[in-house]
Amino acid sequence: MTSAASNAPAGTERPASQGRKRPPLHGPPPHEPGLLQEIGGGFLGISSSLGAMGILGYQIGRRLLSLDFDRGELLKNLYKMGVKSVPIVIITALFTGAIVVIQAAPLVVQLGAHGLLGWGAGFSILREIAPLLTALMINGRVGANNTAELGTMVVTEQIDALRVLAIDPVSFLIAPRFLAMVITLFLSTIFADALALLGAAYGGFALLNVDPKTFYNSLTGSDLLGVADVTSGLVKSIVFGAVMGLSSCQYGLDVKGGAPGVGRAVNATVVASAAGIFVLDYFVSFTLD
Amino acid sequence: MTTQEHEPLSMTGGGVEASEEEPSPSLVELIGAEVVGLVRVGFELYSLFVRTLYYCVRGRREPGAVMRQMFEIGNRSVFFLTVVMGFIGMILVLQGGLQVKRILPDFSRVGATFLDMLVRDLAASIGSLMLATRVGAGIAAEIGSMVVTEQIDALRMSAADPIDYLIKPRFIASLVMTTCLVVWSAAVATLTGMLTAYVTFDVNPRTFFNLVMVNEGDLITGLAKCLAYGAAIPIIAGHSGLMTHGGSEGVGWATTRAVINGSLAVILLDLVISTAGYLVFGP
Repeated sequence: MTSAASNAPAGTERPASQGRKRPPLHGPPPHEPGLLQEIGGGFLGISSSLGAMGILGYQIGRRLLSLDFDRGELLKNLYKMGVKSVPIVIITALFTGAIVVIQAAPLVVQLGAHGLLGWGAGFSILREIAPLLTALMINGRVGANNTAELGTMVVTEQIDALRVLAIDPVSFLIAPRFLAMVITLFLSTIFADALALLGAAYGGFALLNVDPKTFYNSLTGSDLLGVADVTSGLVKSIVFGAVMGLSSCQYGLDVKGGAPGVGRAVNATVVASAAGIFVLDYFVSFTLD
Repeated sequence: MTTQEHEPLSMTGGGVEASEEEPSPSLVELIGAEVVGLVRVGFELYSLFVRTLYYCVRGRREPGAVMRQMFEIGNRSVFFLTVVMGFIGMILVLQGGLQVKRILPDFSRVGATFLDMLVRDLAASIGSLMLATRVGAGIAAEIGSMVVTEQIDALRMSAADPIDYLIKPRFIASLVMTTCLVVWSAAVATLTGMLTAYVTFDVNPRTFFNLVMVNEGDLITGLAKCLAYGAAIPIIAGHSGLMTHGGSEGVGWATTRAVINGSLAVILLDLVISTAGYLVFGP
């Protein structure tokens, strides 16, 4: 299209058909959008994506409640999202466990609280670090990938083809992905909890010479840490999974304009999910405490 | 490129039997292929890093491109980073306060510990995880689209090295801007943390803002992390952008890889630098 346009003699109706040039509205055309305009535009953009996500969430919820979704697609996505993410979850969890211990080390040494290391590391890992970092890593891998896949389907008009065949794209494509993502994140968080504690126990052994047995005792022995801490982390993981599922599907279905459009959508979804994860993290922590 | 070079390797090694086993490779084979791939990517990243450094010294001087990338990487991330780090400050103080509540009667140490952690690790690491997501995805998507639309080949054809033209400005911009953004995000997190402590646990902001535990070792570790992450993110994202192949799906894959590898690099470097900082500066 661009080559056709550039072949046309200059000065014909190019500006009107091009669309790149801003059409002059009332008054002189603004060459630079002002700060206020940019803020307002950003706010409107966020609101419209949030609204679209809400509508999509409603549609998905209706399909899920009436069990009207494709089981085969669910299993396929569980494999693709869950099983394939296992290596990343393992590496992230082991390393973050060790990092938590390194960060706590100066405090532990200054206070001489070697016996409390297991409790301190366990508290932050189970409640915060493991769900959060697992969500961030899976957001990068699965969320981005999901958007790219759906975006490619939109660009190559496969979604329209589904509609033509009278197959509901939401129950065939979107709802299984959403459900698979929530389940993946929930299970990965349990897995990451265990591995991060393992990393913390051996990190503490290597760095502070705290015996893993002491670590384990202070983790489970005292009344300071309970099942409520574990469930708090798991509730978070479900919320994060829902956020990632909704935003990655929404941005994927919203792709316009070929390969660069897919790249932009992937970028937008990763950023939006990360922001959503942190914002909701606070509110979930606050309501569950 | 990685997958293309895999094929001849396994063929020469396995012979006829290998081709029969092809549908279900054994676990060892899978792990081995993974390790070989990782080592190769490591070498490619190293070579890209060295060439970028070379062009930083000997390449063309183009302050305009660097400034544009600084705007792209820095200014455009401020809003995102402000939101995320604001909530991080609130979450950390809330969780820390809940943790303290179980063993100690007073909250006077929460602020000092929080600031210490923030300076030493959390501001740089969480801020850079977010930058790896936003900046890394942006760089990979942009360069990947250029590869797919053959603009990189056009650059090479006109005797311009894409590393000099594309990676170097992003590298310099990211190196400068990561540090600035981390300092800004530390300030935001401190502010929101202070507010949370005041509202939720009734800690006076004056008591909260207690820099007793922050020493020069913490500061050096934190700044070293900023520099390391700032250098790693554009290199990794640029690498996965340049390795893009295969249309719009390829761009999606490149972006995914950039985010994942960038985040893993941040976590790995965090572990290395934190350990080094602990061993050098002591508790």
